[in-house]
Amino acid sequence: MPSLLLEIGVEELPASACYEAEAQLPELARAHLGVTPDELYVGPRRLGFLVDDLPERTEDEWVKGPPEKLRDQAAAGFAKKHGVAVEELELRDGFLGVTVPGRPLRDVVPEQADRIVGGFSFAKSMRWDDGGTRFARPVRWVLVKVDADTVVGTTSFGHRFTHGPVEIPEARAYAETLRKNGVEPVASTRREAIVSGLDAVGGWSDPGSKLAEVVHLVESPIVLESRFDERFLQLPERVIVTTMQSHQRYFPIEGNRFAVVINGGEPELVRAGHTQVLEARLEDAAFTFERDVAAGIDEVAGRLGSITFFAGAGSFADKADRLRKLVEQLGGGDASLEAARLAKADQASELVREFPDLEGYIGAEYARLAGYPDAVTSAIEEQYLPDSAGGPLPQSEPGKVLAAADKLDTLRTSFELGHKPSGSRDPYGLRRAAIGLLRLALEGGLTIERALLPDDVRDFVEERLESLLELPVEYVRAARASKAADLGAVARRAEELYAQRDSSAFEGVYTAYDRAHRLAGKAADAAAGQLDPGLLKEDAEKALAEGLSKVAIEANGDLGAALESGAQLAPLMERFFDEVLVMDEDEAVRANRLRLLLDVRDTLGALGDFSQIPR
Amino acid sequence: MRHSRGVNYQEMIIALERYWADQGCVLAQPYHTELAAGTMNPNTFLRCLGPRPWNVAYVEPVIRPLDGRYGENPFRFQHYFQYQVVLKPAPENVLDLYWASLEALGIDLKQHDLRLVEDDWEQPTLGAWGLGWEVWCDGMEITQWTYFQQLGGFDVELVPAEMTYGLERLAMFLQRKRTAFELEWAPGVTWGDVYLENEREWSRYNFEEAPVDVLTRRFDEHEAEARHLLERALPIPAYDQVLKCSHTFNLLDARGAISVTERAAYIGRVRKLARGVAEGYLELQGEDAVAAA
Repeated sequence: MPSLLLEIGVEELPASACYEAEAQLPELARAHLGVTPDELYVGPRRLGFLVDDLPERTEDEWVKGPPEKLRDQAAAGFAKKHGVAVEELELRDGFLGVTVPGRPLRDVVPEQADRIVGGFSFAKSMRWDDGGTRFARPVRWVLVKVDADTVVGTTSFGHRFTHGPVEIPEARAYAETLRKNGVEPVASTRREAIVSGLDAVGGWSDPGSKLAEVVHLVESPIVLESRFDERFLQLPERVIVTTMQSHQRYFPIEGNRFAVVINGGEPELVRAGHTQVLEARLEDAAFTFERDVAAGIDEVAGRLGSITFFAGAGSFADKADRLRKLVEQLGGGDASLEAARLAKADQASELVREFPDLEGYIGAEYARLAGYPDAVTSAIEEQYLPDSAGGPLPQSEPGKVLAAADKLDTLRTSFELGHKPSGSRDPYGLRRAAIGLLRLALEGGLTIERALLPDDVRDFVEERLESLLELPVEYVRAARASKAADLGAVARRAEELYAQRDSSAFEGVYTAYDRAHRLAGKAADAAAGQLDPGLLKEDAEKALAEGLSKVAIEANGDLGAALESGAQLAPLMERFFDEVLVMDEDEAVRANRLRLLLDVRDTLGALGDFSQIPR
Repeated sequence: MRHSRGVNYQEMIIALERYWADQGCVLAQPYHTELAAGTMNPNTFLRCLGPRPWNVAYVEPVIRPLDGRYGENPFRFQHYFQYQVVLKPAPENVLDLYWASLEALGIDLKQHDLRLVEDDWEQPTLGAWGLGWEVWCDGMEITQWTYFQQLGGFDVELVPAEMTYGLERLAMFLQRKRTAFELEWAPGVTWGDVYLENEREWSRYNFEEAPVDVLTRRFDEHEAEARHLLERALPIPAYDQVLKCSHTFNLLDARGAISVTERAAYIGRVRKLARGVAEGYLELQGEDAVAAA
């Protein structure tokens, strides 16, 4: 069987586009050529594949025509359209039609190659000439070979600077020919080369996960080890690591060593160049770091009054004051109060302006250098946690309190200023703040009183609980209406309600609540303001009132005990409905009975809104 | 290594001018008002709109008040230089032309690690974006490379390639210097000799002395004038007013006078004007085309 090579030559693709292309190539090969690639080539300057056993022809295609019963009216036209005589039409399953024979594959490849190039879909694509094709970067050549025949294009190209046009003798020799011309076309092979080069250097790390990108930044990877001047080790470690990884895609090794993956050049010269660039960047960071440290964190914090936190929400100094108040309300101790005072200090530092992702961490480093104790510095460092859906929580207690205070303040001020998220727009990250707050309560065990949240913020935060807890939403909604005092208690209540939904006590409470709610819920306006025992006439209603007075429901206590107690009302309710006519002619009696039912509902309702739960 | 002799700053500019002139570029001159990037020069922003081919190269002093460091930081300045090249439409061999420009500066492409690293460009105040790269030479970003896709909110008709060389970085690489102030500008004269005092005084102005109330008023005035000129179908003078708005905004920003929420509103105002200019410019070009036909 013949083999086929397809290569699309491009100007340097971003790594993300390489991964998109890698995922799409096999399907494009199947859709447009009916083949499954045996090898994929993905990298910054070329995308392609090799098929080892190419069929000689495309498959025959059955083209269905008119139904046989319309032979007289429609067969002639159909036959003419397909260039055959009427008598040549075949009959299958009651329809006339023709078999279009498959074409030699090499005849269809040129047009299909165009379809493959045009078939990619990238998150970001561009135009580069008037050809109309969109691609992640300009396409500069296409080469298709069937065995030794060049079906599309002329040559491939080797390494951009050391090798020019490359004749590919035959499709199967593609990868090996490119390797002789300074290019490793197989991404996994490049990756292995990089990893083994890094392993040979030893002790490398990749905290920012740059390897996946570096694989597509080179066609001819060479790993070099180098060192930067030791005086930069005075910088906070993450500042050094961020400089190396985010800016330069280097891999940190212990101390002042690092590894860089290059794509060619004279190693000594290139190493010196990369090292100088890194040192220049570190010099820049050291310059701002030294200025900040010379000022000291307390002085830096003093500048917060002149930095606006948010239009309408005052300065960062105002934010720090609010944080201290919230920390107190959350029951935080001295360490968290001190951390709250210094939490935003790094917003006034010069280094955070350069490394915005290191906010919190830099403040903590500065506090450490100024001699503040660990409890304070770790709280400052942890204040933004959790910063993603599954991200880690603060470990220290002061850290949890400060993190909760920060999120509470952001939510409260944003809502006060009318910046409630709408649809998919959430420019201030309020959904993330809400989920973070809930996780601090649920997983972090922090008590966050619901009273600290204004109504709209509370609804917004507790709505997130519906997706956060793996429970039917009705139970979460029921619990949100309970009298649970803090966010954690709401979640526990939802879980307990769900766990005990089949118990007889639950059944009893549910029925009592439900009947009271159905009858009196909509007539609340007609109910008396307060129950008047003097107006109770029937035995059944007296018994219910007496039973109700004995019910002991602790809104934040054990649900089982509360349900047992509440369930005592079930038979009393049953008797009440059997014997008492609520809608008495006497308005005062009627209003009193409605009040009694509402009291039953509201007493049980401290456990949750049972009407949310379908039965 | 041909460049180890160290080509000085002005020779570097001369080499670029010679090279791009030979490629058929118009050698233009810097613009007469403050710009934060060579892209904002009408020779790029306006000329890249519409259906007419245009090849141009020029030095542009860029003014970024927020980046000033009183001349104390070796790598940060509120005033520095870009060398801007625009080829519209981008020829198929545009990258090869660019690499050859580095050779014209004495860089041996085989000896160094040259890379194109994804860096997409967006300028919200101009309603402009494009895809491209930063060019690395042994890890140093020496050029910002962009295929424009939209300007002033309009899709470009012919896709231009824009190459913006960072002249200080390029010179630091060529001269193996660790600070721009030590770069040799001309024999016996350093970059610092020419611009250090400039950095000190402008940093003071930008951060301490620029009058916030006057600038705030001036922004409104430039905006009003731009609108007026657009009504009078004078997009080119209107564009100067947009540039002045943009610079005034940058000064207010350096003075810390703009909060996060106000920022978006200011940017929106400039973008709206830039769109108006692009629209007006395209309309006039369309009329010219009709008249020519």
